[in-house]
Amino acid sequence: MAVELRPPAARPDRPPRRPGLGDTLRLAWREYRSMRTALVLLVVLAAASILGSLFPQEGISPQRVDQYFGDHPALAPVLDRLGLFDVFGSAWYMAIYLALLGALVACLVPRTRALVRVLRSRPPRGGDLARYRTRAAFDTPASPDQVMATARRVLRRSRYRLAEHPEGSGEPQWGAQVGRGELAGEKGYLREAASMLFHVALLVLLVGLAYGKAYGYRGQAAIVEGETWANARVGYDSFSPGRFFGPERLAPFQLRLDDFTNSFYANNTPRAFVSRLTALDLDGRELRSQRVAPNRPMTVDGVRVFQSDYGYVPVVRVQDRNGKELLAPQEVLTLRDPASEVSNGAVKVTRSTPQVGLQMVLFTGLRTGPDCPPGMDFCNDPRLSRPVLVVLAYQGDLQADRAQSVFSLDHSRLRPLGDRPLLLPPGRSGRLANGMVVSFTDLKQYSVLTLARDPGVPVVAVGAALLLCGLIPSLYVTRRRVWVRAVPAGPGTTRVELAGLALQGKPAFEGELARLAAQVERGSGGRKPGPPEDRGTLNDAKDHAAAEETRP
Amino acid sequence: MSPGDLATTSDTLAWLAVLSYVVAATLFGLEFAYRPRWLGVAGLLVTVAGLAANVGAAVTRGLAVHRVPWGNMYEFSIIVGIVTVTGFLVWVHRRPEVRPLGVFVLLPAVLAMALGGLVFRVPAGPLVPALNSRWIVIHVAAAITGSSVLCLAAVFSILYLVKERMERRQRPPAPPLVAGAARTADRVEVDQAVARHASIWDRVPSSDTLDHLAYRTAAFGFPIWTFAIIAGAIWAQAAWGRYWGWDPKETWSFISWTVFAAYLHARATAGWRGRRAAWLAIVGLATLLFNFYAVNTVIVGLHSYGQ
Repeated sequence: MAVELRPPAARPDRPPRRPGLGDTLRLAWREYRSMRTALVLLVVLAAASILGSLFPQEGISPQRVDQYFGDHPALAPVLDRLGLFDVFGSAWYMAIYLALLGALVACLVPRTRALVRVLRSRPPRGGDLARYRTRAAFDTPASPDQVMATARRVLRRSRYRLAEHPEGSGEPQWGAQVGRGELAGEKGYLREAASMLFHVALLVLLVGLAYGKAYGYRGQAAIVEGETWANARVGYDSFSPGRFFGPERLAPFQLRLDDFTNSFYANNTPRAFVSRLTALDLDGRELRSQRVAPNRPMTVDGVRVFQSDYGYVPVVRVQDRNGKELLAPQEVLTLRDPASEVSNGAVKVTRSTPQVGLQMVLFTGLRTGPDCPPGMDFCNDPRLSRPVLVVLAYQGDLQADRAQSVFSLDHSRLRPLGDRPLLLPPGRSGRLANGMVVSFTDLKQYSVLTLARDPGVPVVAVGAALLLCGLIPSLYVTRRRVWVRAVPAGPGTTRVELAGLALQGKPAFEGELARLAAQVERGSGGRKPGPPEDRGTLNDAKDHAAAEETRP
Repeated sequence: MSPGDLATTSDTLAWLAVLSYVVAATLFGLEFAYRPRWLGVAGLLVTVAGLAANVGAAVTRGLAVHRVPWGNMYEFSIIVGIVTVTGFLVWVHRRPEVRPLGVFVLLPAVLAMALGGLVFRVPAGPLVPALNSRWIVIHVAAAITGSSVLCLAAVFSILYLVKERMERRQRPPAPPLVAGAARTADRVEVDQAVARHASIWDRVPSSDTLDHLAYRTAAFGFPIWTFAIIAGAIWAQAAWGRYWGWDPKETWSFISWTVFAAYLHARATAGWRGRRAAWLAIVGLATLLFNFYAVNTVIVGLHSYGQ
């Protein structure tokens, strides 16, 4: 806050003038950059953010948005139009924070100007010192010049910025004592400077955020153990590029998943999952090799590679009753349920007539009866201890020409084939009711990796660091002024008066002024017995009101 | 001691701490109502004993699980007790007149810890892989400290509102223009009523002091909260590949941050100082509580560590 520390001077009354459009605009501009506006916008921003946490968000969980559409078919489209499923990307949310940032900049300009003005000018005269709440006075045998020299030394040591106002200088504004020689000191400019740094840091933060969003990207890819994956747009299962990100900017490298391991604690909660990844250039030369795990990403060519998820890949082969191959050994990606570690997948045999669909459930460790919690006939041990592939067969029309999930079958034109599922351990085969042979030849794992590039991160990091650097002094440094006067009071006696004004931290400042007074007293040769010390009184509302008055 | 013994010791100490805080709150409450000083001093001693048990509970829990003892909501609640009570004791040390407010600080701490122990208690155990990072030490410690201190500030703001209301009520009415016997009787009655109320509330520091306490506490908690969010963003960048993703927990920490930023601005804005600013702090408290209890358990997000 830029604050005028001196009491307002009486201004001659101007003749009243009719306010014109310019005045209205100026008034509106003032109101816009006022702290009150910033305050209201902050509250509005908080309220708007609440909406973003109450409704499912497209950017965080699209499947929950779909579910919401299913559950509330009438309401959802309306909410969608209002942008409530993408609050943080919506135009009105942007309008709020841009208005806030606009107000911030609008407020920074006059604040900078005011701070520069204050730093250029000398600390002003104190006027009538008796008006200040915080005062100290004493008599000393030292001469006025000696006292002032000591005061200069003491204040300089306390890092006050000083100005000497010689006797007779200045305009006689505030009463009879004006014009006396006095020393004025001021310190605590860091508060305002730090506060401005804090607000500038918010801007830096937002610029970095926008820059990273526009030029970065984020995507997910699944790699099966032993396979090599090329960093190209088609390799990603999901890909969200920034507005100005071209796919040609994808760094040219490949990733090979050498192996994947996961482990569990005794109570079946996950303990770790680790992908051993090797990065290769396009010619297949190894760049680096690293174990990537949660909280331990790998960096390749400016792209960060994170461990996100994993799943199982049974390798399945299907033959007809004569041994003719209908489906060569195929890696079947399955979807893992994180709670039970049971995975689901589907195989679609389109070369047979009628077509056959196999729904598959993979248990990592199938347990039955006594090994399970009471009341359950079977359960699953999350460790890969006794894998069993349960195959449920269907025949009819798979409708494979229509877009559908790779993890499930479209049952609308299918009917069950046989009445019993096949239970296959790895390496075993089973015969379906129509004579087809299904073989579970191998079991692999896949790892889901998140790849992200965010060029804005360094900018955001600098912004966050500046934010903290600005925040603490802006709350704890206090701006304050001190005035010292020394006048002869009888033969061999000098009357020393100190007064001070603090904008913040008044209780602490009272102690500080007393300390300064004591130092000046000690430095100028001690106290001379004289009239009782003049302590500050509390009935001094005038300078107080002036000091509290703030301006953005 | 084996990890099992340590975990049992930790649970016992946690309940001992809660019990001590209840006793201390009762003593402070009695001092508040009936004035004898020794009650408050005894309350202070019991609080310190409770704090020792509380710290012991956290330390033994940490030893039992071989990690920092703030990996789930139960452990978080234990640390909240430590931070809040320590914050209160620091204030009592600096300003002894704050002591009778102990009942208002200890009861929320007791509530948080009892809720943690009854609803969110989980057996001592290791962390899920996503939490296994040294950032849990920094980020969660800062989040607990920041949010507890900001909650303490809001408690002072609530007290400020009550006290400020009392002060407005107690302001002596204008003297009657005509001094009559009936009017004098009225005055006596009013004075007695005022005195009855005052017996409790005049022990509370003045509204100015409470406002100052609330501000100083919030000004201490706000940078810590800011740092907690930044540390969380750094961790999110390492764990999830993005420093900010509007996950519900992130969103609500941002909301709390915004509300307390508004509070700090309000205290320097004409027309907002005082009561309106205090209400902002209370809204801030509500957002912090929502973030901890509702977001962890009800709203689905990456931070749903309630179970």
